[in-house]
Amino acid sequence: MNKWIKIMLILVAMGAVGAVIGYVFVYNKSHPDFEKKKADFTLTAEELFKFYRSDQASAELKYNGKVVEISGVLSEIESIYDLTIAVFVLDKGLFGKEGIRISMLENHQEKLKNTPQGAVVIIKGFVTGYNETDVVMEHGSLIN
Amino acid sequence: MKRKEILIIAMLFLIGGFSVQAQKYATKTGVIRFYSEAPAENIEAFNHQVNSAIDLNSGDFVFRVLMKGFQFEKALMQEHFNENYVESHKYPNATFVGKVSNLSDIDLSKNGTYDAEVSGNMTIKGVTKEVIEKGVFEVKDGLINGKSTFYIQLADYDIKIPRTVVKNISETVEINVDVSLSLLNN
Repeated sequence: MNKWIKIMLILVAMGAVGAVIGYVFVYNKSHPDFEKKKADFTLTAEELFKFYRSDQASAELKYNGKVVEISGVLSEIESIYDLTIAVFVLDKGLFGKEGIRISMLENHQEKLKNTPQGAVVIIKGFVTGYNETDVVMEHGSLIN
Repeated sequence: MKRKEILIIAMLFLIGGFSVQAQKYATKTGVIRFYSEAPAENIEAFNHQVNSAIDLNSGDFVFRVLMKGFQFEKALMQEHFNENYVESHKYPNATFVGKVSNLSDIDLSKNGTYDAEVSGNMTIKGVTKEVIEKGVFEVKDGLINGKSTFYIQLADYDIKIPRTVVKNISETVEINVDVSLSLLNN
């Protein structure tokens, strides 16, 4: 086979492999597995909420976009649409109860619903931020 | 205007506007959908933990959305949205502070479906624009469901689309708002 044809074939093959790798591992890469992800920080619900309240800018820099494991008294469980939200009520403000709200991963929703309100729980989740009333977390998993 | 200043003004607006006797309705689980239709692909994202409140006496209407709360189908899109486009590490919230302009024509304390016009200031990525949008309120048995579909120009909010992905993201995106507001008992 002509040398140049061989080189062209090798380049085409390398390009195809690169495209597949790019599609699978970059363009189509999966979302993080928040259940397995190690927590960046571990603290109580009250500590996290107080930090956002007292120094919002620093708290946003430190915790927004991080996986945080919090412990505290489970105040309420809300179910709306296909969401189950664990609520830690830690204050009362202009818009009613305020605290930490964690939308649970699908496979942790039943487990949370079977947890009595008032129980001390440990939940790990991804912090999306503070909206002037609550610290909001997503992809929650009930650790204990 | 800096984000802190906007927040303080928004809070003063709320405290001033929401009188003791005011009938306040609110939700913390409002839904906002973001939809971009472009030649190469369509992009959709949802945020299910949106704060919203309305005062039936004054017509004051507010939204607060955490940008990191938008969930995209593809992880890469979510990364680009947060890191490159809305820079959610610098501008974690988007807000709307405004009023129902035609409050005198509608009665949100009674069951019914009402066309509404909402006007106010929308802040995304630290840029505040005055907006007027149409929506519908449906009042049923003490719940107020508000829905609206409107379009925003990304360039208006300093969101730049790189040339390399200009076929992947529309310059105008559709926003769908769906909030079920219930009476606040303070």
